[in-house]
Amino acid sequence: MIVLASLTILLPFAAAFAGMLLGPRLSRLLRPRKVEPVPGGGPATTEQAWWRAAITAERSPLRNGPALLACLPLALAAVFAAIVAFTVWRSPGARTGTLTLIETGSVPIRVGLQADGLAAVVGLMVCCVALAVQVYSIAYMAKDPRYSSYAAFISLFTAAMLLVVYSGDLLLLYVGWEVMGVCSYFLIGHHWEDRANSRAAVKAFLVTRLGDVGFLLGILALGVGAKSFVIEDVLARLSEMPHATVTAAAFLLLAGVAGKSAQFPLHTWLPDAMAGPTPISALIHAATMVAAGIFVVARLYGVFVTGSGVLTLLGVLAVVSMVGSALAALAQDDIKRVLAYSTISQLAVMAAGLAVGADTAAIFHLLTHGAFKALLFLAAGSVILVTGSNLLGRYGGLRRAMPVTFWSMTVGLAALVGLPPVSGWFSKDAVIEAAQHAALHGDPEPQGWFSATPIPETGPPPPSITQFHGGALKAYAEANFTQVNWVAPPLPGWAAWLVYLGLLLTVALTAAYAVRLWLMTFFGEQRGDFEPREAPKLMTWTVAALAVPAAIMGFFGGGAEELRPHVGSALIALALAGLGGGAAFLLWNRDPARDPARVLGPVRPVLERGFYVDELYALVIVRPVRAAARLVVAADARGIDAAVVGAAGAARRLGGALRAPQNGNPQTYLTGLLAGVVVIAAVVVVFL
Amino acid sequence: MIFLLLTAIPLLAALALLVPAGRFLPGDAAVARFGVAVSGATLLVALSAVTAFDFGAPERMQLEIDRAWAPAIGLRFHLGADGVSLPLILLTALLTFLCFLYTAKHPPAGDRVRLFTALLLVLEVGLLGTFVALDLVLFFVFFEVVLIPMYAVIAIWGGAGRRAAAYKFILYTLLGSGLLLAGMLLVGVNAGTLDMTELAARHGSGLTHGVQVTAFVLMGLGFAVKAPMWPLHTWLPDAHTAAPTVGSVLLAGVLLKMGTYGLVRVALPLAPDGAAFWAPWLGLFAVIGIVWGSLACLAQTDLKRMIAYSSVGHMGFVLLGIATLTPVGVNAALFGNIAHGLITGLLFFLAGAVKDRYGTGDLRELGGGMLTSAPRLASILTFASVASLGLPGLAGFWGEMLALLGAYKPHADLPRTTFVVFMAVGALGAVLTAAYFLRMLARITHGPVPDARLTAGPVAAVSRYEYAAWIPLVVLTLLVGLWPKTLLDVTTAPVRALLGGG
Amino acid sequence: MHLLYPAVVSALLFSVGVYGVLARRNAILVLMAVELMLNAVNLNLVAFDVFWRDRLHGGQVLTLFTIVIAAAEVGLGLAIVLLVYRNRQMIDVDRLRDLAEDRAPGKALDPPGEATPDWVAEGAS
Repeated sequence: MIVLASLTILLPFAAAFAGMLLGPRLSRLLRPRKVEPVPGGGPATTEQAWWRAAITAERSPLRNGPALLACLPLALAAVFAAIVAFTVWRSPGARTGTLTLIETGSVPIRVGLQADGLAAVVGLMVCCVALAVQVYSIAYMAKDPRYSSYAAFISLFTAAMLLVVYSGDLLLLYVGWEVMGVCSYFLIGHHWEDRANSRAAVKAFLVTRLGDVGFLLGILALGVGAKSFVIEDVLARLSEMPHATVTAAAFLLLAGVAGKSAQFPLHTWLPDAMAGPTPISALIHAATMVAAGIFVVARLYGVFVTGSGVLTLLGVLAVVSMVGSALAALAQDDIKRVLAYSTISQLAVMAAGLAVGADTAAIFHLLTHGAFKALLFLAAGSVILVTGSNLLGRYGGLRRAMPVTFWSMTVGLAALVGLPPVSGWFSKDAVIEAAQHAALHGDPEPQGWFSATPIPETGPPPPSITQFHGGALKAYAEANFTQVNWVAPPLPGWAAWLVYLGLLLTVALTAAYAVRLWLMTFFGEQRGDFEPREAPKLMTWTVAALAVPAAIMGFFGGGAEELRPHVGSALIALALAGLGGGAAFLLWNRDPARDPARVLGPVRPVLERGFYVDELYALVIVRPVRAAARLVVAADARGIDAAVVGAAGAARRLGGALRAPQNGNPQTYLTGLLAGVVVIAAVVVVFL
Repeated sequence: MIFLLLTAIPLLAALALLVPAGRFLPGDAAVARFGVAVSGATLLVALSAVTAFDFGAPERMQLEIDRAWAPAIGLRFHLGADGVSLPLILLTALLTFLCFLYTAKHPPAGDRVRLFTALLLVLEVGLLGTFVALDLVLFFVFFEVVLIPMYAVIAIWGGAGRRAAAYKFILYTLLGSGLLLAGMLLVGVNAGTLDMTELAARHGSGLTHGVQVTAFVLMGLGFAVKAPMWPLHTWLPDAHTAAPTVGSVLLAGVLLKMGTYGLVRVALPLAPDGAAFWAPWLGLFAVIGIVWGSLACLAQTDLKRMIAYSSVGHMGFVLLGIATLTPVGVNAALFGNIAHGLITGLLFFLAGAVKDRYGTGDLRELGGGMLTSAPRLASILTFASVASLGLPGLAGFWGEMLALLGAYKPHADLPRTTFVVFMAVGALGAVLTAAYFLRMLARITHGPVPDARLTAGPVAAVSRYEYAAWIPLVVLTLLVGLWPKTLLDVTTAPVRALLGGG
Repeated sequence: MHLLYPAVVSALLFSVGVYGVLARRNAILVLMAVELMLNAVNLNLVAFDVFWRDRLHGGQVLTLFTIVIAAAEVGLGLAIVLLVYRNRQMIDVDRLRDLAEDRAPGKALDPPGEATPDWVAEGAS
């Protein structure tokens, strides 16, 4: 079991090294014909050359060394992850395994993994999305001269994410957490010829790193408090630790979560991160890495529940993030930025779910979101590829030329909005229902993995075959129930209402921007100058394959009580979605050639720039740091070093005073000598 | 016996180079090969010391040699190693070997390879001797032997401003050495012995509080100059910037470690009361150093100077670890030493290679697009930078993380709140570290190649000798980062012993 | 004869020599003044040798020794003076100051505070 989980991590890891070092060599071995590389690569190259290359790559992916090295180990890893998930579902409970114990002189680090329900399902999701992205990239990046390193970094990223998921030790988790960050940096900056991409990559890394400082400190606080970094031990000893420590640790962890999951106020890197190639946005900045923050909250839910006030803060941040970024998404003109802001908004929905105590629902939304957002990004990639532009204003009328992409994207957008019966509806409804319950009744529904219905003493009941995902989650909950029982404390009334209303508002806004995106891309007249056609098959198939889970995944949740749709909340949400979507449609219908966002008027620039948060940070953080840097250099040179050099100068001046008599005239020296003799003689005569 | 051999081989080789060129090894190439062979032999001896070392009891002094040296004043010729010094011995032997390997194909500007080789060999004697000496005066002798060759290397083969930098280096460190000697003699005279193992075993018993406080501040200042600790760091950027590539590598890779090693080996166990008295100050200066170094790096425009200032920040983490006076903190310091030696050594090699190829180390003049013009060089530079900014899974992370862990729960006698503040500030300094390395990478490796460079013709590819010098460092960085147990297992037990079983 | 007379003469002779060495500018005159001082010593040696009635006449032997040394010294000194004159066309002692350290800063040692290096002036960009 644990061996399989560790293989799941090690396979992509080994693939990354192999791809980095041997990829191109393997290509040469398999395909002696030389393909001339084009600088820049990707959609930026000329259309015709790219098209030919994509078709070649599509026809002969088996001769593409880096692609083979990337996809085969990952496929194998996905199989292993599936086996792990299946085993955990058949007989629930956490499996742990320890490779070794590293003595640090204080709290030891346990290099070990933990495979339980949560890890198994998220791990499987990660493997599947990563595999889809790798396959898609074969065609998308066919002509890129650096495809080899690109694929290798995706492999490394996947390994890191799986390490986060399966890790049984907080520090091991942190290792994966940071390696993901650096892979994200390299992949955003993949087309580094353009300075803008390079800047976006640096920004993404630094902003998340700022949050990670808090994360690391939180881990250290927990580890020292519990005298162990093992996640199970930490959760088991929460009650023995001082309350203040747990609260502080929870707030510190929250900083890391906000950074990684792009929540307010550390969200600014995500829209810029869209500078990376589109498959990267799909994998890292939509489905997996940004979800890691939510995953960690769920993993350490006990810490957040125990620390007082943490969930309230999480809820408030989530509301700000979800409403703000949904508004910003309304005004964007770049299709990827729309999706990026939508990602922030959806992650905030998960965070809101966690805040109101609906952790199962939040993870369920994480899974469905992983599927439909990856789908949306990959489909957007196909559209960008065909039209050669990121801008919504250049699309239009793509419905007929790109039927597969159109239908897939329709499914994805429906899931995003939360229309029945696609997956997003189930998961979002579960979150809204929980929030509604918290707002109306004041305390969270008895649900979640740790607070499931009472378990008979005899042990967990055998799960039934029909409950796959939800079943696994629930089984996990039951297996763990005997250890700890976390009940999320009720949010304060105002916070619960805020979360609930925020969620409802977000539903309406989501519908509005989704409908705007859908209409402007696929309907109306063609506005840009391009030849409409379907993307290469390797890409469309991948997108279509992702549409299947995006459509039907919701039914898997039916096995768990709290994940079944509720009529009341579902109707309210649907009505609001209809309102938002309808408004967008009416505006568009008035003049299909123009952007419905025009009605925002003077507010639009504010929304488009994301409420000028970037500018604020530049003013408050970046510029003072730079000023401080200049100050330090000046102080170093004029203060500290000047003191050192000044000491040398003082010594020289002192010496200068003493060497004044040494003027080179021997007669002066002799005079001194003689005077000295006379003085000595006089002293001897007088005193002796 | 093995350590006598370790120091004797380079010493005898250096003496052999005094024979006039006509009689022995005519020609620079022969001398360069000789250097490689001698340092290779030294590395082999170091490796055999590792195999002879009993890893079951790393806290015990092993492979000792203990002879009377000057019985009249109680000096002994006492060499030996335990888990604290063994990794550093290996690092020194390895880095010196790699430096000779690099020099064989890339001699420093200014020729005189014979003199250069001889000086580096003498340097190696001093460095290795410092890490194996177990008598205070012997330690001091080796500590000082290092200075003159390094001074000469900077002053003769250095870049612009080399003489001023060399003077500053030698005068500053000599000043520190004077204080160090005074502190050591104070301890030696009061305790009645100069044997480090015996003094360490006493844990300061027999010394009054006042003597310990004075001795620690004297020795601490001596080592802090070498480390270097803020605000005694200003010799370092000048020396690094002016020194030739190989000089910078050894300076950053090994010389700085003598300071922190001395703190751990000499100052801490000999005067524990003094250490407890001064630890908050040491921690304060360490944390200021972390932030100061990082901010200074953000505003640098010269590649070598930036890497030099980054050393100030990294050694700040090492000093912070020592200041906590906990096993985990001292472990962090030792780990940080090794990691910094590997990574910064590599960075200086790369900076030298960049300067060789582009003729400048100025970030603005370099322009951008190094990933286009010299992809392999730029990739290794990226790797080294990422390692240096403390990415988990590479060597740089563990030292920093353990230092923070130590600071979160320092020794029971130290003010905890103060150290928690130090920890938070130090952790923020780590973000700044990331900022300046990424800024540097974005500046020179990303972006389009400037037109002036395009017309200047292709950049020389990475040569086989350069690979030979760099790849061991890359591999070790990965190995130590992915499997920190290799190092921590060796150091934990002796560190506990040094701190009095704590 | 009383010891006082040769002693006073020798002291006067020595003083004249000291004055000559310290005050004259011409190197030849300085050399001559040195001879005067040596001879003052010689006179003392002879006078005291007689006064103490030394059986071995150590004073007289030493005087002969000194005269030989002085002859060699004058030969060497005059040769130096001659060379100096050939090189510089003058033999003024107070203008021969090559032994003095150069007072201009920065010749012997690098100056501590050269011009501010350019990396100081500029900050981050």
